[in-house]
Amino acid sequence: MQITTEINKWIKHFSENTVNIAPLITFRIVFGLMMFASTLRFILKGWINDFYVTPKYYFTYYGFDWVRPLDEKSMYILFGILLVSSFLITLGFLYRASIVLFFLTFTYIELIDKTNYLNHYYFISLMSFILIFLPLQRNFSFDCYFRICKKIKEVPSWTINFIKLQIAFVYIFAGISKLNYHWLIEAQPLINWLKHQSDFPIIGKLLLEDFTAYLFSWGGAIFDLFIVFILISKRWRIYGYILVIIFHLLTAVMFPIGVFPLVMIGSTLIYFDEKLHEKIIKFISRFTLKINESKTEHLYNTKNSFKPFYKLLFVSFFILQLVLPMRYLLYPGKLFWTEQGYRFSWRVMLIEKAGYAQFYIHEPLKDRKMLVENRNYLTPQQEKMMATQPDMILQFAHHISKTFKDSIITERNGEIINLGKSPKVTADVKVSLFNKGSRSFVDNNINLTSEKRGFSNKSWILPYED
Amino acid sequence: MIKSFLKIFLPTTLLLFSGCSKKGCKDPNAINYDSSAKKDNNSCLYEEFDKEVLLSNITNNYIIPSYNQYNLNLKSLDSSIKEFTQQPTVSGLSKVRNSWHNALLSWQDISFIDFGPSTLIILKTQTNTFPADTFNIDKNITSGSWDFNTISSNDLKGFQALDYLLNKRGLTEIERITYYTNSQNARDYMNAISDELVTNIAYVVREWSTYKNDFISDFTTNANGSSVSEMINSMCLDYEFFVRRGKLGLPLGIFDLFSNDPLPELVECLHYGQSLPFIKRSVESLQKYINGIHYSSNENGIGFDDYMNFVNATSNNENLSSVVNSKFDLILTNLNTLNDPLSSELVTNNSQVNLAYDAMQNLVPYIKVDMTSALGVLITYADNDGD
Repeated sequence: MQITTEINKWIKHFSENTVNIAPLITFRIVFGLMMFASTLRFILKGWINDFYVTPKYYFTYYGFDWVRPLDEKSMYILFGILLVSSFLITLGFLYRASIVLFFLTFTYIELIDKTNYLNHYYFISLMSFILIFLPLQRNFSFDCYFRICKKIKEVPSWTINFIKLQIAFVYIFAGISKLNYHWLIEAQPLINWLKHQSDFPIIGKLLLEDFTAYLFSWGGAIFDLFIVFILISKRWRIYGYILVIIFHLLTAVMFPIGVFPLVMIGSTLIYFDEKLHEKIIKFISRFTLKINESKTEHLYNTKNSFKPFYKLLFVSFFILQLVLPMRYLLYPGKLFWTEQGYRFSWRVMLIEKAGYAQFYIHEPLKDRKMLVENRNYLTPQQEKMMATQPDMILQFAHHISKTFKDSIITERNGEIINLGKSPKVTADVKVSLFNKGSRSFVDNNINLTSEKRGFSNKSWILPYED
Repeated sequence: MIKSFLKIFLPTTLLLFSGCSKKGCKDPNAINYDSSAKKDNNSCLYEEFDKEVLLSNITNNYIIPSYNQYNLNLKSLDSSIKEFTQQPTVSGLSKVRNSWHNALLSWQDISFIDFGPSTLIILKTQTNTFPADTFNIDKNITSGSWDFNTISSNDLKGFQALDYLLNKRGLTEIERITYYTNSQNARDYMNAISDELVTNIAYVVREWSTYKNDFISDFTTNANGSSVSEMINSMCLDYEFFVRRGKLGLPLGIFDLFSNDPLPELVECLHYGQSLPFIKRSVESLQKYINGIHYSSNENGIGFDDYMNFVNATSNNENLSSVVNSKFDLILTNLNTLNDPLSSELVTNNSQVNLAYDAMQNLVPYIKVDMTSALGVLITYADNDGD
């Protein structure tokens, strides 16, 4: 009896207590600016063309095969929408419409091709989804200035805590995923990667020592597992944030991971309390137009704010995120080898894997086969990602089979071959995990055309040989 | 400090503990190689490796001298062509053929240096695209007008067009002389090809004098676009696509639908009747380049083999650099069993040529997967973020 009331009190504290809105405001500005900058970077690098126009084939996600790239002009328009909506989010102008548009556009683009999957893109999708339901525009915004919505000073604590919880998921699961033999005992893959950093300023020579790789591996795991707990403690927060900055800057200079470090450094600001955020807002307001501060401040209706609909939505949202990283347990075999249940689990920089795949189309009647030249169908980037990931290998095999369906091939000697309704496709794939040498990855006798896509176990992946 | 400590400490303790069991480092590339060791105990220590030294060694002792040699060979080809076109003689023709052969051999030494200045002018496809389009070459000569500045002209110029012009089949040497004596257009065409080859390499050599310093000083990372990444990517692409596929795979019919019948007319230097010297040279040169061997003196400098050793790259518990070198040796052994003309060998000795192809195919995963992954280089020709 006592315990349940304690728990209820605790839940109430974290969901319905009223708190200052300031952290949400800075989060809106920081998130908007970061999204604007990273979209701009993406465009300037010419990646729209490289990733969404040039490829002739796209590796869609199972169940999302209807997500197709639009034509070139429309792809540029989609990225234009991202730029405009992230800018409007920063301003807090037409916020609700902008964040919905941002979430839908961003997620659509990410669903086009799993070649481009990155954990931080997944993070942005999830975060922008959460932000749809939070009152980030209710202060220091154009929406308030134009009286589109009423200005408020306080919000229920769940609004801020959901952002914190989402970030906590990222770090803690990233930490848990590091608790494996390769990371902790072999210091893989860092022990390999750091050897190429010998020219790093000042500490370059230290990075060559195996000791350093172990220090970084263990340090990284401990950091990921506990940083959130340091950040929520009032006393240790500032030291935690310094660690956040050091950790992410270090990864930023060492590895080609784009804007991810910046996104995490910016997002974790949310853990600071209102005082800092009010200072930030005050600082920013020195550079903005003097907005006619309306004196009337409305109270956020806390009684009705956490409606059952939201409760159900967010509980299932976070339960899903608890389940997804664990789904790999349902599959036999070595996770890093089969990668079944690998994505959407915050496994960041965990493996070093490279592969080489040769596909064959078989003649229906005779025992002859034709080589498939991957480069005729895939970009080098797609080919590289496909060669180590079984679901992509299967998708590509199906694509080849479909391409040659009912094809009539005329050989140079005049012989005519009809490939029939579903040409048999096999693959010879060599994969090296953690630089231990390439070995056969899939059963090269299996007709991949007749293997179904989906979440069931891919028994044609050969077991990993140590 | 820790390293020097280890260097002294490790061997001493190992010496103390090993006693008479004859354990030690069995890798001849290591500095503590123990020839009497019976069993490897993972104690191998390697020379201090420095990426800047690797880049400066390969640049100064391979790339620059090989470009210079090729440039020199082209100049002598050009002067022999000038001489021949002024006064076509049998001895002049054989002189041209001889200098053409030498220039094409030295082209094989540099074809995989496909980054920086040479990429800017797409040197590779401009220089040695085969098979030559003999129909349109004849047409150009008849009409007396041609344009070498378009992409579609790649099989109308370069070494393979010269192959056709010098070695056109069904003619005696005297008939060839008569042909050139009578056709101003043919002489002009030959000169135009030669001029372009000379101009192109002059540009590359000139640009490298400034490009060189940037190239060597770009050693801090192996990310996309870095010097190490450019070298590895361009040699993997050249080997897989232009050597394995172009020089042997296509003529063998490996890529030709289901029947895989040989396509002899696709060999390099079809009219000359010798293809193997050029295939062998391209494999040998690539091996030299990977191992950081000096172009002229054959002295073994710091190369990718040392880099692989430095990061302890292994392939199924074997030293990766040794595995890669053994694969190269195997290719050359196989190629040495073949006889020119390759175009007829493809038909008469098909199984042996297939074995040579298999050996070439076998190397691909070792350089494209094992080596690149060990050296932290992404095989990709587009820039992108990792995860």
